[in-house]
Amino acid sequence: MSGNLLGSLNTAFSGLAAAQAGIEVTGDNIANATTPGYVRQQVDLEAVGGPAQVGPFAQSAAAGQGVRVAGIVQLGSSLLDAQARSAGAAAGYSSVTASGLSALESTLGEPSGDAISGSLSKFWSAWQDVSNQPGAPAPVAALLGKAGSLVGQIATAYRSVQSQWSQTQQDLATTAAQVNSDASKVAELNGQIRSVAASGGDVNALITQRSTLLTELASLSGASVVNNADQTVTVSIGGANLVQGTVARSLSVTGSTTLEGAAGSPAGVQWSDGVGPVSLSSGKLAGDLALLAPATASGNGGAIAETAAKLNTLATSLAQQVNAVSVTGTTSTGATNVAFFGMSASGPAALGLSVLPTDPSGVAVAAAGAGAADGSIADAIGQLGTGAGSPDVAWSTGVIALGTATSNATQQSTLDQSAQAAATGAQSSQESVSLDEENMNLIAYQHAYQGSARVMTALDSILDQLINHTGLVGLG
Amino acid sequence: MSFRVTESTQLASAQRNLQLSAQRLDQLDQQVASGLAISKTSDDPAGAATLLDLQRQLAQNTQYQRNAGDGTAWLGTAGTALSSMNDTLNQVRDLTVQAANTATQTPSSRAAIATQLQSLKQTLLTLANTQYQGRSVFAGTSDAGSAYNPDYSFNGTAGSSVNRRVGTDTTVRVDVDGSSVLGAGPTSVFALIDSIASTVSSGGNVGGQLTAIDAVASNIRGAEATVGSAQNQLTGATAALTTQAATLQTTQNGIQNVDAAHAILEMQTQQVAYQTALAVTAKSIQPTLMDYLR
Repeated sequence: MSGNLLGSLNTAFSGLAAAQAGIEVTGDNIANATTPGYVRQQVDLEAVGGPAQVGPFAQSAAAGQGVRVAGIVQLGSSLLDAQARSAGAAAGYSSVTASGLSALESTLGEPSGDAISGSLSKFWSAWQDVSNQPGAPAPVAALLGKAGSLVGQIATAYRSVQSQWSQTQQDLATTAAQVNSDASKVAELNGQIRSVAASGGDVNALITQRSTLLTELASLSGASVVNNADQTVTVSIGGANLVQGTVARSLSVTGSTTLEGAAGSPAGVQWSDGVGPVSLSSGKLAGDLALLAPATASGNGGAIAETAAKLNTLATSLAQQVNAVSVTGTTSTGATNVAFFGMSASGPAALGLSVLPTDPSGVAVAAAGAGAADGSIADAIGQLGTGAGSPDVAWSTGVIALGTATSNATQQSTLDQSAQAAATGAQSSQESVSLDEENMNLIAYQHAYQGSARVMTALDSILDQLINHTGLVGLG
Repeated sequence: MSFRVTESTQLASAQRNLQLSAQRLDQLDQQVASGLAISKTSDDPAGAATLLDLQRQLAQNTQYQRNAGDGTAWLGTAGTALSSMNDTLNQVRDLTVQAANTATQTPSSRAAIATQLQSLKQTLLTLANTQYQGRSVFAGTSDAGSAYNPDYSFNGTAGSSVNRRVGTDTTVRVDVDGSSVLGAGPTSVFALIDSIASTVSSGGNVGGQLTAIDAVASNIRGAEATVGSAQNQLTGATAALTTQAATLQTTQNGIQNVDAAHAILEMQTQQVAYQTALAVTAKSIQPTLMDYLR
């Protein structure tokens, strides 16, 4: 019943309680101002209306009965969260491919002049020097040195490519393991959030933890998230569920663990429960898989395997073209049908290439029957580097293709990173704590508290007047 | 939706902007320090393609210049030998003319002429065996120690030639086939001089041999002309190669090297921008409402 002074005291008390709740939430916000993934909270206040006035004793309009704390809400936005996650997935993919390609490019070291293409030029020049002085040991010794360092460079480049492939494969396995562990944590949090929410508890802290995990999952695997009515989330990759309710599935890495083996058994990611390959289109896992893909005939396979294939092609064509001329010549000892490069029957060509002659007498320099001091075979070999079908041209075409791909990937990665920065910026603009705002709220709640306290004092004084001084007029 | 600005968005964007600024500064710093505008292919794939091509052409050019230098030395050696041979043969001709004038000759003067002829023949034989870097310049592709043996037989490989490559499709012959100039064995100029000397010793008439001597002299002059024109060809090729090398080098520098003045200016500008960004960031992230609340 309105007009009840004790009821008004209660109204003032609800104001005190609401202000106190506000101060508590503000304090929590300020304490978590720098916590990653923290979403600012607000007390949701509701006015409590006055009782309905019915019956013969209805009086004039009654005031409301104070304020009620309806809940503490997180000021997040699931749309902004989803945008930040998908931007993160795209950035995860492009940063892996860009850094993989850059590493490959720096392995080759072009166009410094000391790299493979420079060594090829020096190798052809050395043949010309031999042709100028057939029979003299010094130019041939220099040629053998140049050939040896060229072969060494090709093999070293191939080994670096091999080790980059293995590192990327290990990274794929580590990333898959991290996805599995994140997925099981999300499933566990789903369970906790569902039960705490059912019992009416505060789940905001748990949701913050889960949201950090979801962001990481998206950048690792490109996973998308659906929020369910019971506060749980469903996480899916390529349309198949990774986490649903409290159940998490896991991924496993398949395929060969070596560059050579991958041609027959490519690296892949499968569902551990045996339902087939995971369809990955963004995120770090997809980036690793793109780098690890086997080489194709058209040259648009995975960058690492393609570079290895280019090194093999270089080794093979070098050996074939030089040997084709070399076998028609004669050495200084009169031997004919002499090959210059050897190629091991098994294993990658880039590692199997070797220089056969061990001393100047083993190099075919003269054309058959043209005189012992003839140098025309050496001259013909020296000219192999100039044609359109030369190993040099094929190699530099490959190097430029890799450079173009790297440049594109780097640009894409820069773009994706700024898109990610924009998306997380928008997200944190909505969700992050502003100390200025919190300070203002603090003052507002403080004043509200003081106001309610003042109302209480006033009522107290009125009651005192009523109880202690009513009917005492003239008794004095 | 208006963009809400909080301490953390401010910090994040300040961090990002400073990072970008520092990255640009680092990039310019690297360019200035290395002097290279293209240090890896992806810096400029099209430029790198040209660069690789230029490097290949330059390496070839350098090699062709070396080949031309070597060829010039061969031709110089052969040319000097041929001109000395010409002089020697002239002396042989003079002596033969002298000996042909039988009326004025005494047995002792005939013996003296024969001895001189023998010694001139030795000189000619030595000249015919002239070597450059251990190779007989008149013996083609043969690796024998001398072009002619003491019995005048020719050691050279018939039909062979020594060539130097001065262009992708250009080679220049740098040797002279001794047998086609001086003959070989019994038909050689050495055998001819021997026969003149013995005819002179025995008091016979050698006037009829002058034609044979003139034929050899004309061969030698012909070979000298060939050597001269080959030398001209090499000189021309060397000049062309040097010009080409300069052009290639200039083009390569233009593509590969950083424009120092421009890069340093840009770096200074970037440094100022970076310092400004630091100063502004330091000012804008400091104040909060707390500074003004009592």
